[in-house]
Amino acid sequence: MNETHMTHVFTAEGVSCTVPSPDGERTVFSGLDFAIDAREIVDLVGPSGSGKSSLLTAFALLNPHARGTFALDGRDSSGFTPQRWRREVAYLPQRPVLPGATVADAIRLPFMLSVRAGGEDGREGLRDGNGPRRPGGLFGRFAALFRDGEANARRLLPEERIRATLDAMGCTDIDLTRAPHDLSGGQAARVSLARTLLTSPRVLLADEVDAGLDDENAEKVASIMSDAAAHGMAIVRIRHRPPDGRASRIVTLSHGVLSWDGSLVKDPDAKDANKEAVA
Amino acid sequence: MSGNAYDIDVWGLVVALAMVAVAAGVSGLMRMGIGRSLMWSACRALLQLCAMGFVVGYVIRADNVFLVFATIGVMLVAAVQITLSRAKGVPKGLAGPVLLSLTITMLLMIALVTELVVRPHPWYAPQLVVPLTGMLLGNTVSALAVGLSRFYESMDERRDEIDTMLALGATAWEAARPSIVSSIRLGLLPTMATLASCGIVTIPGMMAGQVIAGGDPLEAAKYQFVVFAAIASLTLVADGLIMAMVYRTCFTALDQFRSADMRGAR
Repeated sequence: MNETHMTHVFTAEGVSCTVPSPDGERTVFSGLDFAIDAREIVDLVGPSGSGKSSLLTAFALLNPHARGTFALDGRDSSGFTPQRWRREVAYLPQRPVLPGATVADAIRLPFMLSVRAGGEDGREGLRDGNGPRRPGGLFGRFAALFRDGEANARRLLPEERIRATLDAMGCTDIDLTRAPHDLSGGQAARVSLARTLLTSPRVLLADEVDAGLDDENAEKVASIMSDAAAHGMAIVRIRHRPPDGRASRIVTLSHGVLSWDGSLVKDPDAKDANKEAVA
Repeated sequence: MSGNAYDIDVWGLVVALAMVAVAAGVSGLMRMGIGRSLMWSACRALLQLCAMGFVVGYVIRADNVFLVFATIGVMLVAAVQITLSRAKGVPKGLAGPVLLSLTITMLLMIALVTELVVRPHPWYAPQLVVPLTGMLLGNTVSALAVGLSRFYESMDERRDEIDTMLALGATAWEAARPSIVSSIRLGLLPTMATLASCGIVTIPGMMAGQVIAGGDPLEAAKYQFVVFAAIASLTLVADGLIMAMVYRTCFTALDQFRSADMRGAR
């Protein structure tokens, strides 16, 4: 368990973000450093417009205006394809987008993608997935064009497994055969979260997922995430609600400066105690 | 064939123009505001068609392979210009991909329709190759213009969906695919509608022309079918090629979505 102290699961160094504006370019932030360990939940707070979302999309290599050095388990992001990086460092957008005819289809979306079609690097899309290895080379690339992503997704993620996962997350109220646009705001937020959690990323970047939810749904979302963290996921949450006691650190981004309130993180005993409780 | 045809004299053209003038006058009375442009377009069409007739007549009489391909080259360049001026909201720098996709499609058509199906002597028979290219380009130009406009519009509409898909590990191709499919479908819609309705509701222009010129209607029907089949399949090829060449303009090298303002859309 100590190796997580040696190398953080995720590190970011010298992150900057410059957006075009009517009068030239505007620097949102620059030179930010950040690190997070497995099983940790870090809350990212700060005034709106300070660039919290830009920072998280930069972590997932999704922000075309951002630069920086990122590493996962000490491996630099340049050693990953963008797809494999995002499979491990998953950004969860604030607004749930659930394409497809049913909730089950929306949840299967990530498993229709070629990045999870087979375990190229020994790691399956699902931990106990048993997908076929994709034939490499030109033929493999050509065959991937005609691969039936939907059948593959159905096999990787059968209905029963989605049901069991949703039930375990306390989402017994969500009917898998319903159309996604019939879901309430809270249900849609939980389905979107469940979809990303089922892909088992190493790092989850949750962008104000509980915004616009009532207290009950916000509580449900928070407890789903702390369960995931207890199983080893590193989670960064952007939040506007008052602290719910689940974060091990609260980091503030304001006027381009990232500062953390050390009271929670600087106490190694508390952290180890937390880990033991989990184990 | 021209022996059986009924030629149109100058008075015939005057009557046709007079019909347009009456229609323009009526629309002027009803204040629809399209009278002037209708009249102007009709005069332009008359001039363009006559010029085309002279050029094609000259090319056919000259019967020279270089002249045939020079004519086709000019048609291709004009087709690129028309495609780009009709497509809305597309970024700059698409002239190359459009020209390439039209050229490949045109070469396929000459290879398949002319050399495999019709087999004329000489192989570059101008009276066959030039009109066929014209019909094919007319169709692909509108399909490409509609397809390109729809593609970029759809990518911007699906912005949130694309960001979500990329965040879940989609490649640029996977994230763009729904927009590519819907734009190709929209570009092909008129072609498919023509295929389904021809012979029942309409006598297609080319077949009508051959019949009026005294050709055998069944022969004309066979010709028409070959041309329709070629146009339908090659329009799909042209649309598919252009999408494969341009979808990356919506993404950065790191597979991040580039919005309309980053692409420098016109």
